[in-house]
Amino acid sequence: MRRSMRLAPLVLALPLSLPFVGVGTAWADGSATANLTPVVVNGSNGSGTAMVTVTGNKIEFTLAASGLAAGPHAAHIHFGADARHECPAVSDEKDGDGRLSTTEGGPAYGAVVVSLTKTGDTSPTSGLAVDRFGSGTSIQYMRGGVTVAPEIATAIEKGQALVVVHGVSYTGAKAQAKSDLNPALPASATDPAICGVLSASPSGGAGTGAGGTAPTQNEGLLALGGIGLLAAAGTGAFAARRARS
Amino acid sequence: MSTLATPHGRRGVLAAAAVTVTLGVAGTTAVIVGLQPSGGPPQPPVAASSSTSGPSAPGTPPTSGTTRDAIGFSAKTLSRSRPVSIAIASIGVDSKTLVNLGKQADGSLQVPTDFGKAGWYVDGPAPGQFGPAVIAGHVDSTNGPGIFYQLGALRPGATVTVGRADGSTARFMVDKVARYPKDRFPTSAVYGDTTQRAELRLITCGGGFDRKTGHYLDNVVAFAHLL
Repeated sequence: MRRSMRLAPLVLALPLSLPFVGVGTAWADGSATANLTPVVVNGSNGSGTAMVTVTGNKIEFTLAASGLAAGPHAAHIHFGADARHECPAVSDEKDGDGRLSTTEGGPAYGAVVVSLTKTGDTSPTSGLAVDRFGSGTSIQYMRGGVTVAPEIATAIEKGQALVVVHGVSYTGAKAQAKSDLNPALPASATDPAICGVLSASPSGGAGTGAGGTAPTQNEGLLALGGIGLLAAAGTGAFAARRARS
Repeated sequence: MSTLATPHGRRGVLAAAAVTVTLGVAGTTAVIVGLQPSGGPPQPPVAASSSTSGPSAPGTPPTSGTTRDAIGFSAKTLSRSRPVSIAIASIGVDSKTLVNLGKQADGSLQVPTDFGKAGWYVDGPAPGQFGPAVIAGHVDSTNGPGIFYQLGALRPGATVTVGRADGSTARFMVDKVARYPKDRFPTSAVYGDTTQRAELRLITCGGGFDRKTGHYLDNVVAFAHLL
């Protein structure tokens, strides 16, 4: 009894040291989100969210958008080392035809680097494989296990890649325009509708407290308790000696 | 050496024994009380450290090369609109202001400068949009409770109401409240594509407070979905 009491302060004091284990580095796992908003000039009313999780050279993506024009919606991750890494500006509409083509958006968002298809190939060569993308005014799908080049994974984590969803609705002369990517398709099928920069998720936790209400371990009480226990051990020893004598 | 203690000696032994018991009990009590957190914000249990996947994702994640189209997705989403207010009746939160939060230079989430206001992470979805919208607030300032002081007491089933600039209201139901060490923060589960619906994350601090760094060691995260 006395022995365990004497040891008690030591045993109980051990947890005191645990809260001071250092805060390690952030647990980076390469998650990024793009808020998809209408591309200037082209008149889309759509909006959406694209989310990408990067694990090594694989990505998993989720694409959800609504308010789009009817018809197919080619969707890609765009990146260009020399691009501005942003959605197109009105000034990118260079030829004055009242629509911003996919090519005109190039200086802003770069080239297609991943085709966000539902099935099959995901390389840029599937960029216009309209039968393998979402279709209609609302699209929602996700896909995992998509292999990307290391520089694309890096670009996503650096916030330099964008998600662009194509396919708009035109009236008048613009409805007759041919696609700059494939003359067999109307421009409305391939012109960019909504766009967003893939922004890396915040790393680690949040510093949402200053400690004003943090519970404190009462060091005064602990010291007092320790003294009390040592004294108890002393008087206990005294009592035991007297009882034996 | 007598085997019979004198009355005086016996009293001495009894007195010493009594003092021993008293000191022992008092000392143990003082140590126990001294180790107990005295007050402080409510603390939900620490989540399993392997919680890299969404705690409330209704479906299973896709395997390599597979796609899930619409199935499992909730069609119930709102368009993007800035959140302007937050109310959580069950823990007494009712704020008519939300500030914008981005990322700090080190990549971590900005936090509100005002301990009485919560903030919305603008590079993520807006509350009501598809995906996880994030609202963070302080558990305390240097001298008193912050807006999310009671977040750790939030329970599954509680309702969170977020007012939006377009005049609409997004109502969420809490699915889970958990505490995570900051050095093992579940970034994908909080910010990533682990859901197929509009969700909400509420973040504050918790766990022990490191007076050397001036930071709490854990984050308390509430997970909710759009009703």
